[in-house]
Amino acid sequence: MTVPAMPQPEALSTRYMAWYRFTRNPAAVIGAVMVATVILAAIFAPLIAPYPDHVGAVVDFRNRHSAPDLAHLLGTDKVGRDILSRVVFGFRVSLLLVVGVLGVAVPVGAALGLAAGYFSGLTERIITGFTNVMLAIPPLVMALAIGNVLEPNLVNAMLAITLLWWTWHARLVYRVSKSIAAEDFIEAARLAGASHWHILTREILPNCISVISVKTTLDAAFVILFGATLSFLGLGVKPPTPDLGSMVADGRQFLPEMWWEVLAPGFAIFYATLGFNLLGDGLRDMFDVEA
Amino acid sequence: MDTLLDIRDLDVAFRTYGYRAHVLKNVSLSIPEGGRVALIGETGSGKSVTAKSILGTLPGNAHVEGGSILFEGRDVLQLAEAERDRMKGTAFSVIMQDPLSSFNPVFRIGRHLDDVMRFADMRLGERSSPAERQKRIYEVLRKVQLSDPERVFSAYPAQLSGGMRQRVLIALALLHQPKLLIADEPGTALDVTTQDEIMKLINRLVAENGLSLLMITHNLGVVRQMADDIYVMRHGEIVEHGPLRQLFTSPREAYTRELVDAIPPLYGPKVVDQPAVEGETIIALEGVSKTFSERRLIGRGSEHVAVKDVDLAIRKGEIFGLAGESGSGKTTVARMIMGLIAPSAGAITVDGATMAGTGRSDAFRHLTQIVYQNPGTSLNPKRTVGQTLSVPLTFAGLERARFDARIAELLRHVDLPAHYVSKYPHELSGGQKQRVAIARALAANPKIIVLDEPTSALDVSVQKNVIALLQRLRDELGLTYLFISHDLSLMRNFCSRIAVMLRGELVEEGEPKAVFAEPAHAYTRALIAAVPVMGDEEEQMKPSVSAEERKRFLVDAVA
Repeated sequence: MTVPAMPQPEALSTRYMAWYRFTRNPAAVIGAVMVATVILAAIFAPLIAPYPDHVGAVVDFRNRHSAPDLAHLLGTDKVGRDILSRVVFGFRVSLLLVVGVLGVAVPVGAALGLAAGYFSGLTERIITGFTNVMLAIPPLVMALAIGNVLEPNLVNAMLAITLLWWTWHARLVYRVSKSIAAEDFIEAARLAGASHWHILTREILPNCISVISVKTTLDAAFVILFGATLSFLGLGVKPPTPDLGSMVADGRQFLPEMWWEVLAPGFAIFYATLGFNLLGDGLRDMFDVEA
Repeated sequence: MDTLLDIRDLDVAFRTYGYRAHVLKNVSLSIPEGGRVALIGETGSGKSVTAKSILGTLPGNAHVEGGSILFEGRDVLQLAEAERDRMKGTAFSVIMQDPLSSFNPVFRIGRHLDDVMRFADMRLGERSSPAERQKRIYEVLRKVQLSDPERVFSAYPAQLSGGMRQRVLIALALLHQPKLLIADEPGTALDVTTQDEIMKLINRLVAENGLSLLMITHNLGVVRQMADDIYVMRHGEIVEHGPLRQLFTSPREAYTRELVDAIPPLYGPKVVDQPAVEGETIIALEGVSKTFSERRLIGRGSEHVAVKDVDLAIRKGEIFGLAGESGSGKTTVARMIMGLIAPSAGAITVDGATMAGTGRSDAFRHLTQIVYQNPGTSLNPKRTVGQTLSVPLTFAGLERARFDARIAELLRHVDLPAHYVSKYPHELSGGQKQRVAIARALAANPKIIVLDEPTSALDVSVQKNVIALLQRLRDELGLTYLFISHDLSLMRNFCSRIAVMLRGELVEEGEPKAVFAEPAHAYTRALIAAVPVMGDEEEQMKPSVSAEERKRFLVDAVA
């Protein structure tokens, strides 16, 4: 085997090295492909789904509980709707939940973590103290409470998850930010007259990006799983909107005969979760960080 | 004399990121029985890879592509793994270089030693009882001049000083009476005086036990005391080898000459005297003290006096050297002058303004800047050179339109090409990074620059260039330097005045010429005497220190 000679070590860019590490990791590549299929399926759901109208309140009693065949590749549910179409649209709801929750929780958590790590003293104590209190609340209890006080729907499910999710990011970024803040280059920036805002956003934050992106990817899997749990318990998406969790709940009563009604959405949850987890692990190895 | 170890045409390559890096090219080296051989070279020259090839501890992506390593006539590269393992610790063993991170902090020292001995015994097929092993370990600890083996044996690593831990590391290497001792930069993490003690100890052990020594180092002063034969390595190749005297006095290769010339002399005709500077006082410290106190939730807090009653006056345009070992308070003094921490007592006047508290006003910011010891941690890895340099410009109130011109000017000052603005720190070498750090310090037009051991993380040849750059900048820009260091030979040549600190107090102050000719304080004498030098003449010109004085000032000196 001939291997090209190493150019000057400086010539290897970080991007090249990261890409190299990523592509040599089969699990990471498989995860990326899985995530890509989920996202594409969600975006192009109306084009992919064989019966796009089955997403709504359609009833087709002639075909109820039909086993997988050529007309319905994954069978139909108790009112005769095509399960494949509903699973594809179910990805939409799951990803919407991911974007909604993480879109708020990650920036909030990261901002609080950054501030707590950089400013010592009272700011640090208040933020870490509050974070610890929030971490002590069981997420399911919070979701039940919010679902009872407000009405159980997708937005409130998102709210319940978001209210607790930022804590993990706050903790993680706090740890990284605190160690970066102790570096010489931060003191040097301060001596050069940099403002706190500059130091937080331009000096510390870029050093946290890799950790945040790894954690966010891994989180996507958990949010999907947690969202499915809430819908399964009836706290999430309202029918007839297709959601993977409520589809499992609906199909559960017809087990074991109509196995496809649980297996299809169940496998879809498993597939999306595994994809994000593999991708997250791959990114972690690629960035060489702990998250 | 028989040859103990003979490396012939060793070729080693690393595979990383789809590329092949040829790190050892036809390396040949031989160590006679009872001989002391030094392998010198700069960072990345392949010295440590050579040692690892001998020990069989190369990382997984390294491939030995050719050559042989003969130990007592047997090629260790051809041996079965089990057989090779058996040689570790008994045929050859290594003294690790970092006494601070080589121990597991939760285990007692005795456990570290006992584990190594037990497993080596097992490999050799010998049975031993804990009590018997403990006896053998005590013996070895006594051999490395740890006079109280019982205490050391049951101590945790954190309870021992750096010097003592280095001794334990040596003991670790000696447990099974190896024939060849490999020392990879021993003591570089320690203070000069401690390092000197460690060198003497290794030398004695080698002589008394008839060991062979392979010394890996970048410090040529150390080499003079520790080796008979020298191999000079560069870019994975042996560029020159020969007996010590010949190599130091008449090196054949230009590279070797460069290395030898890059070492600042302590005494002799090559020493450079910096002219004394007459000028107004720019920094004045009067009776300055600093006490760090720690409050505890329960019980009484503790107090630590870092700086005690220091008087100091630095004149404009001076290169003022502040010498001392770790913990002497020199960095605390510098931080107080920079206004980063407030003195507990006394007054600090900088450029006519008396400082109070830690508030750094805008005017003050332009006054003092700092260049840190480690360029690897003082530059933000995620920011380009241009971005790093623009920070002080923004806050110094320069118009954005003039940034590019100013950054180009700064890069010119530190001899870096203009296109470096878009480079990230990891694309730069250590010396280049330090130049960027210097440029950053210059950006806001300061009057005073604190140099906190700016060259101790750099190779000697790079150090020489950085020092020359600093000197030129002082002359061109009229700067005043406060140079903090423990490298006395460098200070002798670079500073116009020096002061020596010991345990928070200033014990000596004066022009280098006078201080080095007749050091007044016994500690200064001990410090100077411990500096490794290049020639015998220099060695003789060092001040003499009595054993009693040494004991008084050196924590780790042999009791």
